[in-house]
Amino acid sequence: MANHTVAAFDLELKELQRTIAAMGGIAETMQSDAIDALAKQDVRLAQKIIAADPELDRLQRDVEEKAILTIARRQPMAVDLRDVIATIRIANDLERVGDLVKNIAKRILAMDGQFPPPTLLASIGRMSLMALNQFKSVIDAYTQRDPQAALAVWQRDGDIDNLYTSLFRELLTYMMEDPRNISFCTHLLFAAKNVERIGDHATNIAETVYYLVTGESLAVDRPRGDENELSAQAGE
Amino acid sequence: MSATPAEKVSVKNLRFFYGQNLALKGINLPLYDRKVTAFIGPSGCGKSTLLRVLNRMYDLYPKQRAEGEVLLDGENILGPEQDLNLLRARIGMVFQKPTPFPMSIYENIAFGIRLYENLPRSEMDDRVEAALRGAALWDEVKNKLGASGLSLSGGQQQRLCIARSVAVKPDVILFDEPCSALDPISTAKIEELIDELKAHYTIAIVTHNMQQAARVSDYTAFMYLGELIEFDETDRIFTAPKQRATQDYITGRFG
Amino acid sequence: MKDVSKYRVRARSSSIWMALSVAATALGLGMLALILGSLFWNGFTSLSPRVFTEMTPPPGSAGGLLNAIVGSLMMTALGVLVGAPLGIMAGTWLAEYSAGSRLASVVRFINDILLSAPSIVIGLFIYTVAVAPIGRFSGIAGALALAVIVIPVTLRTTEDMLRLVPTALREAAYALGMPRSLVIRKVIYSAAKSGIVTGVLLAVARISGETAPLLFTALNNQFFSWDMTRPVANLPYVIFQFASSPYKDAQSLAWAGAIIITMTVLALSVTARSLSGSRNS
Repeated sequence: MANHTVAAFDLELKELQRTIAAMGGIAETMQSDAIDALAKQDVRLAQKIIAADPELDRLQRDVEEKAILTIARRQPMAVDLRDVIATIRIANDLERVGDLVKNIAKRILAMDGQFPPPTLLASIGRMSLMALNQFKSVIDAYTQRDPQAALAVWQRDGDIDNLYTSLFRELLTYMMEDPRNISFCTHLLFAAKNVERIGDHATNIAETVYYLVTGESLAVDRPRGDENELSAQAGE
Repeated sequence: MSATPAEKVSVKNLRFFYGQNLALKGINLPLYDRKVTAFIGPSGCGKSTLLRVLNRMYDLYPKQRAEGEVLLDGENILGPEQDLNLLRARIGMVFQKPTPFPMSIYENIAFGIRLYENLPRSEMDDRVEAALRGAALWDEVKNKLGASGLSLSGGQQQRLCIARSVAVKPDVILFDEPCSALDPISTAKIEELIDELKAHYTIAIVTHNMQQAARVSDYTAFMYLGELIEFDETDRIFTAPKQRATQDYITGRFG
Repeated sequence: MKDVSKYRVRARSSSIWMALSVAATALGLGMLALILGSLFWNGFTSLSPRVFTEMTPPPGSAGGLLNAIVGSLMMTALGVLVGAPLGIMAGTWLAEYSAGSRLASVVRFINDILLSAPSIVIGLFIYTVAVAPIGRFSGIAGALALAVIVIPVTLRTTEDMLRLVPTALREAAYALGMPRSLVIRKVIYSAAKSGIVTGVLLAVARISGETAPLLFTALNNQFFSWDMTRPVANLPYVIFQFASSPYKDAQSLAWAGAIIITMTVLALSVTARSLSGSRNS
C-alpha cells in the first residue's frame, strides 16, 4: 500500500503492528512452553510461563495508549481506522490468551506430585497443539494481511471444540473410575477449558483480521463444534 | 440501511466544459430525497463544478457549458427552456465564504421572499422569523433585525445565508464548502443545522473536510479528475470503500 | 567565520539609496508644503465676508466672488448631474453586461483616452458643438464640458468598484433566483455604493478646479446670473483673470478663490477617502 503523505502516520501504524507481532511471539512461546510443561509436568517451565505474562499485559496497555493517541492525532479513515481498531482488539485477545496460558501453568503447579496417565496428557497435548497451530496461523494471517488464511482459521475452530468435548468425556470416565483421579482430572479439565478458549481467541483474531483486510464482517455465528449439554455445563 | 429512498435529482451522463476543457467526464449519480450527499475529492476534481451545474450557476459565464441530463423530479433542468430564476428558487445554494447582502438582517431574508410572494408586513415578519429559527439564528439576532447583515460574526453570517436560502422554500440546498472559513464551534453549529435541515430538504455538500463529510452525510461521492470514482453510503465509504483511489484519498495516501 | 565584506558593501549601498529616497520624499513634501503654505498665507488673509456676498468688481475696485462661486456651483452640479449617471450606467454595462464582447474593449479604450484627454481639447469640442452653432457662450455649454470630464472618471471608478464586488456575493444573489436587473440594483450597487460615490466625489473635485474647458464655453460674467443659457461667472476663470491683473484687490480675490477651491477639493478628497476607508474596514 502506498505511504501516507504524513510519514509519521505510517511510523505510528508500523509501530502498532510491530507491537502486536511481539505480543504474538510472546504468547506463542508461552503456549509451546505450556505444551512441554504439561507433557513433562515441568514445574520450572510452568513458573517461567507465569513470569512471562506481565510483559504481555504491559504491551497490551502500550498498544491501547498508542492507538488512542493515533486516533486522536490522525483521525484515521477506512483501512487505517480498521487497522488501528484491529490492533486494539487483537492486543486484547493476545492479553487474554496470555492469561489463559498462565492459568494452565498454575494448574501444572497445582498438580505437582500427581501423575496423570500419559494417554490423558497426550490428548490434552494434542488439543493444545491444535490451538497453537490455529494461533500461529492467525498471527501469520495478521502479519501477511491474508483474509483467506484468517477465514481458514475461523472455519477450523470447530475441530478444537470437538476435541474438547471428547476430552471432557474421557476425563469424566477417569473420575468415575477412581475418585482419587478427581483432583488431577479437575485440573486437566480446567486446563483443557483454557485451551479451548485460546482457540476462541484465535477465532476472534481471525474475524478481526478478515474485517481489517476486507472491511466485511464474518457471519455472526461461526461454525461451532458439538454444543451439547455436557460441554455447556463444563463451561464456567 | 432501509430501502433506497426516491431520487430527487438524477445526474445522467453529465459532461461539463470550461471552454475546450472537459471538467466533468460523464457523471452519473443520484441525490436522494431528503438525504445529505457529500462530494469529496482533491481540488480540481470537479465537485464544485458539479454543484454549480445543479443550479446552473455556470450560465452566468460565457464559454461554460454542460451536456447530458440533470433531472429534478424527473424534468431535465439543463434544457434551454428552463427558467433559471425559477430553478434557482427551487435549488438554493450556500457558498464557501458567507455572503450576506449589504443590507439589514431582516432585509437579507425578506428580500428573497419578496421575489416570489407579496406578503403583508405581519406575515413577512413571521416568515423572516421562521427562516431565522430554521437556521438556529433567531435567538442571536431577534433584538437587532435592523442591524447590517455584515455586522454578524462569520458563523452567524453563514447561518444568515442558510436562512436566506431556506426562506424561499427550495427543494434542494447546495452547500459549497460552507464551513471552510469558520471556526470549529461555528462549524459544529452549521453541521447540526444541516442535520436538522435534511428532514425537509435534499442536501448536497462539497467539503474538503473528510471528517465533516463522514459526520453530516448519508451518501458520499468521491470524485477525481472529473470522474465519479465511487458513490456509496457514507458509512461504507469511510470504513470500507471499494475503490483503491477512494481509500488512498480518504486515508491521506494521495501522492 | 563568515565573510562579512559582501554584506558590508550591500549595507552601504542600501543606506545610500535610503538617503536618496528620503531626500526625494522630503523634496516632494517640501514643495507641497510651500504651495499650500503660500496659498494659505495669501488666501486666508484675503478671505472676508465680502468675498461671499459681493459681485466681482470692475478693475481697480473692491468686491467679492459671489457670482463666480454660484456660477461654479451651478455648472459643477449640472455637469455632475449629466455626467455621473451616464458614467455610472456605462460603467455598469461594462462590468455586468458586456462580458466577452468586443464592443466593451473598444468602449474601455476610448474611455481611457477620454480620461487622459487634455481638458482644453474637451473645451474646444464643446465649443464646436454647443457654442459656435448657437453663437453664444453659455453656462450650459460649460456644464456640458464638465460633464464630458465627469463621464470617464465615474465610468472607470464605477466599473472598477463593481468588479471589486465579490463574485460570491453576485452568485449568492443569483442563487436566490433573482433576475439580473435586481441583482445589480439591489445587491451589487449597495455593495459598491461607497466606491461609486467616491468616484463621483473625485470627479467633482476634478472639475471644480478646471479652467480650460470653461474658457471656450461658459466664458465669464461680471454680474450675478442664474441664467445658464448665457455666459456664467466661475471661480477658475476669475482666478485666472484676476491673478494676472495689476490691481491689488483683484489679486487678493484671486487668492481667495484659490483657497476656496482648494478647501473644497480637500474636503471632497477627505470625504471620498473616508468613504472608501469605511468600505474596506
